[in-house]
Amino acid sequence: MLKCTFCGRRAVYNRRYAGVLLCDRCLLKSVERRFRRAMAKHRMITPGKRVAVAVSGGKDSVVLTRMLTEYCKLKNCELVAITIDEGIKGYREAGLPIARENAKSLGVEHVVASFKRAFGATLDQMVELAKRRKTGLKPCTYCGVTRRSLLNQAARELGADKLATAHNLDDEVQAIMLNYVRADFSRLHRLGPTYPPREGFVPRIKPLREIPEKEVALYALLRGLRVHLGVCPYAGGIHGEIRDFLNRLEANHPNSKFMILRMFDRMKPHLAKVTPEFETRGCENCGEPTSTNICKSCDLLRGLGLERKQKMLISGEFR
Amino acid sequence: MANIRVTVREIGKKRKREIRLGPSATIAELLEQLGYSRETVVTRRNEKIVAEEERLSDGDLIEILPIVTGG
Repeated sequence: MLKCTFCGRRAVYNRRYAGVLLCDRCLLKSVERRFRRAMAKHRMITPGKRVAVAVSGGKDSVVLTRMLTEYCKLKNCELVAITIDEGIKGYREAGLPIARENAKSLGVEHVVASFKRAFGATLDQMVELAKRRKTGLKPCTYCGVTRRSLLNQAARELGADKLATAHNLDDEVQAIMLNYVRADFSRLHRLGPTYPPREGFVPRIKPLREIPEKEVALYALLRGLRVHLGVCPYAGGIHGEIRDFLNRLEANHPNSKFMILRMFDRMKPHLAKVTPEFETRGCENCGEPTSTNICKSCDLLRGLGLERKQKMLISGEFR
Repeated sequence: MANIRVTVREIGKKRKREIRLGPSATIAELLEQLGYSRETVVTRRNEKIVAEEERLSDGDLIEILPIVTGG
């Protein structure tokens, strides 16, 4: 039997990048400590604020909501959960009830905004339209852009001061590498534990950014949390290739993911000097904040013959 | 020492399968043999989550739970 480096109980996890074995209790404590440390270090939440959390029902967002619920109680903050129903058959309908039950059991207000209501089409329908119109764009492009836009709109309408997302270490490092591969300075520069305030955007925070995906999963399983572990049918492409590459790298050279993150964090202040700032204005079509005349969501939707149907997402029927 | 035989259940797949391994094989070696990255799965040995460096015993039930969901 392998023993925990700290207390001698049976180890459940070999944290190879730190050279320690952890038992269930020490792992749970360590993950919670990292969450609190990130919150404090980056002053993610200050007392008395209203915080929105994006919840899909997957392990990361369920774990984050649980941790934020405790933290918000301590800091006298209000927490509201937002789920975006993209309309992915066989996937989202499994995660949605879990997100709902999770919020209910924690006593957290929960709001659902759907692609179907907001844009008049589910993601599945958008993907079909994109194929028919030969746009050459991948499902993740439509989903990523429009989901982020809806999340921001919902958080703003709910009066949130911060919008927490459950990006873990793996997600963040994948995003860093993806933007390197695409030489996308602007997007690379925007990555980080927090986003600066900008007109129309609810500042985002990523409290799980320094917790590896596997540790988030172990946390959920060891706490006995009900989570959705399904795989998105559209997952793949370059995102999947980068994820596989990073996992191979980490398996052969433990600590690689943290090193990529640390290097990026050290470079980030210098990136600001070479990345042009942009002014935000309201999209001519939907009014959502953008740096161009038409926001990216409206641009993508127009390419499919669709448009934003709801100017306001949050109404009585959404609650 | 004789080879060992373990039963592997991959969550999300219907059938269990039996795998033969050398004596003193670890869970990490089993995962590698099956083509899994240890970064993307959690493993249970006889219903308990264990570190992948644990050595396997003849007759063990190993459950492999993929944790990378993507989306």
